[in-house]
Amino acid sequence: MPHVRSIGQEDRGGENPVNTALIGGIGNVLLGDDSVGPYVVHRLESEYSFAQNVEVADLGTPALDLTHRIVGRESVILIDSVSTDDPPGTVLVYRKEDILSVMPAQRLDPHSPALSECLLAAEMLGASPKNVLLVGIVSEQFEPGCPLSESVSQAVDKAIAAVLDELSRLGFLFEKRQQPVASGMWWTEQPALAPFTYS
Amino acid sequence: MAKRITIDPITRIEGHLRIDVEVDNNSVSNAWASCTMWRGIEKILRGRDPRDAWLFTQRFCGVCTTVHAMASVRSVEDALKLEIPPNAQYIRNLILIAHALHDHIVHFYQLSALDWVDVLQIPKADPAATSKLAETLSPWTGNSRNQMKAAQDRVNAVASSGQLGIFANGYWGHPAMKLSPEVNLLAFSHYVQALEYQRKALQVVGLLGSKTPHIQNLTVGGVANAIDLDSQSALGMEKLAMIGTLLAEVTEFVQQVYFVDVCAVAAMYPEWFKIGSGVKNYLAVPDLPLDSTGSAYDLPGGYIHDGDLAGVKTFKTGSDAAFRQAVTEDVMHAYYQGEKPLHPWEGETEPAFTGWNSEQKYSWVKAPRYNGEPAQVGPLAQVLIGYAQGHPLTRKYTNLAIEKIAAVGGVHATPAALHSTLGRHAARAIRACMLAELAQKHLQLLTDNIAKGDYTVHNQPVLPSHEVQGVGTHEAPRGTLSHWVVIKDQKIKNYQAVVPSTWNASPRDHSGAHGPYEASLLHTPLARPEEPLEVLRTVHSFDPCMACACHTFDPSGKKIAVAKIL
Repeated sequence: MPHVRSIGQEDRGGENPVNTALIGGIGNVLLGDDSVGPYVVHRLESEYSFAQNVEVADLGTPALDLTHRIVGRESVILIDSVSTDDPPGTVLVYRKEDILSVMPAQRLDPHSPALSECLLAAEMLGASPKNVLLVGIVSEQFEPGCPLSESVSQAVDKAIAAVLDELSRLGFLFEKRQQPVASGMWWTEQPALAPFTYS
Repeated sequence: MAKRITIDPITRIEGHLRIDVEVDNNSVSNAWASCTMWRGIEKILRGRDPRDAWLFTQRFCGVCTTVHAMASVRSVEDALKLEIPPNAQYIRNLILIAHALHDHIVHFYQLSALDWVDVLQIPKADPAATSKLAETLSPWTGNSRNQMKAAQDRVNAVASSGQLGIFANGYWGHPAMKLSPEVNLLAFSHYVQALEYQRKALQVVGLLGSKTPHIQNLTVGGVANAIDLDSQSALGMEKLAMIGTLLAEVTEFVQQVYFVDVCAVAAMYPEWFKIGSGVKNYLAVPDLPLDSTGSAYDLPGGYIHDGDLAGVKTFKTGSDAAFRQAVTEDVMHAYYQGEKPLHPWEGETEPAFTGWNSEQKYSWVKAPRYNGEPAQVGPLAQVLIGYAQGHPLTRKYTNLAIEKIAAVGGVHATPAALHSTLGRHAARAIRACMLAELAQKHLQLLTDNIAKGDYTVHNQPVLPSHEVQGVGTHEAPRGTLSHWVVIKDQKIKNYQAVVPSTWNASPRDHSGAHGPYEASLLHTPLARPEEPLEVLRTVHSFDPCMACACHTFDPSGKKIAVAKIL
């Protein structure tokens, strides 16, 4: 029997000696501009390579499962669509204090109950990330269907820059790839499967 | 004159459920369950390759992602009459079990326990007495005085900060809260531990599914896990051993903590075995197939009409003919176009929003019906059906629960008492124990099959040239899930998902029959109508998750669990 490492011991809240960052895209890829979070992280993965202590993840709409994604991390950068009175495509950044101060009386966006509750849970556990940045892109529409609105798609580069600025500020390493790799944005692509064989 | 109370939204996560109740003399006299957002995601699927559908459907919802992936591949496999290799069945089953264990643990502790546990009583508890009490209930090693003290300190820290943080939305000090400070502390300490154990269950999903949320290892015809006993990157001995370790830890938590806590809370709130029954038609589909054709299953399915356990019907397969024929969706009181109830293969999702009107249309949820009648789905349905059929594993843990509840509180619960709000919680804990035991079994089945030299994980799908239709079912954590697909010319012609929360949160139908949430609320006593904790208890007992039950969301002005008197 091979040696079994006990999973989880090393990355429990507060016990992790290595500084780690999570870049997480939040949103439903099937609902128009709500997909902008996953869209941004797939662009980042395609165009940049990151140090081993930086995890890039398409988190979908994780609700409370976000808690154990953020617990014990030093830094968390999340990208999500937000609803404000600003024009669509505006990029807004929120820090931990902003998120906690406006919650839970009011929501920034459809997923923020998850974000605020998860942050509050992490706080209660004493394992809340030191640095939290939410990069919010003001959305135009959440209609079923996959494409981003023109306004939001023009904001993607700005959101990417906001994520990279924060990473640099925090001292995490990354570099631009010579050639981008496949984006993994399956929901924007034509099916690649060969036609069915008929029986 | 009856007062009307609106609770909007009622779910603690991704909430889009609105409940309206009329209260007469502190008792609920009428109720409406409505979903406040439209999705219509199924329409995206028309014209796509059916082999891609599962990737899209599992994005319906971020909470129960795996379930929509699974029901979707099964619907296409049913249409193509495709067999699934045993390895693929076992791997899928392990993912389904691990996901369900995660979900049941989170539901009890994070999403509903605080309906019963008064956090603000915790500072008054004696940690030593709490630990002693815990030892009489369970051999769990996480109940020491120091651990109780640490949990109490967490609450004290939050409470003394002057802001309640994560506890800001509770009905603390409500007269319907009845636990002693020590029991409140014990349950809360497990609330914190539950966060750790539900994560272990999710790690199993991640190890087999490559990613969570949103697994990546499914394919129509099987799974995409490479099996190689000697490789660390494929599914080999090392990963199987890791999965075994994680499942053993989760099993211990489920059987020694979750199950025991539910029994203890039930024993201290026995009046809730008489509240919240509602619709007594129960529906569950068999799941955890044991062979490539799905001729035998580890979880029982069937139908109980009007609480008649002796007359229980049995579904032999996940796509049993009786089930295929009996399901329709009614839109009389839902914001959709259409007149008569439609079978899902003929189903339409054309919006016709009118605004909330209790006498006409008032919800984005359609009303699924079984032989024209509402049906309750979820762990309670599955446990009652299994119990009625004499399913040994169901009987074992149901009897154990009845004994435990009697031992703690001197309360003699019967299977009939399960038609209730507490019955839903008890059934979920019973089902979790069954699943934990089955997790070990299916891991062994997988390991043994691989040891025999069978590494097959996939059968190539082939398509008949004529139009075909299929149904894929899964007994998900919240109950019976079915995906219905029609395939023509290599593409999806129609697709409908009839999800568990649609069954339970359904509005009235053309005959005026209440949906299960609505019916369960009638006659509920309310101590303080302006703080309708009792309504929340019953609705939460169903484990509502409206993100997928309804078909967009309205991003404007959601209030978090605000109750207002109209």
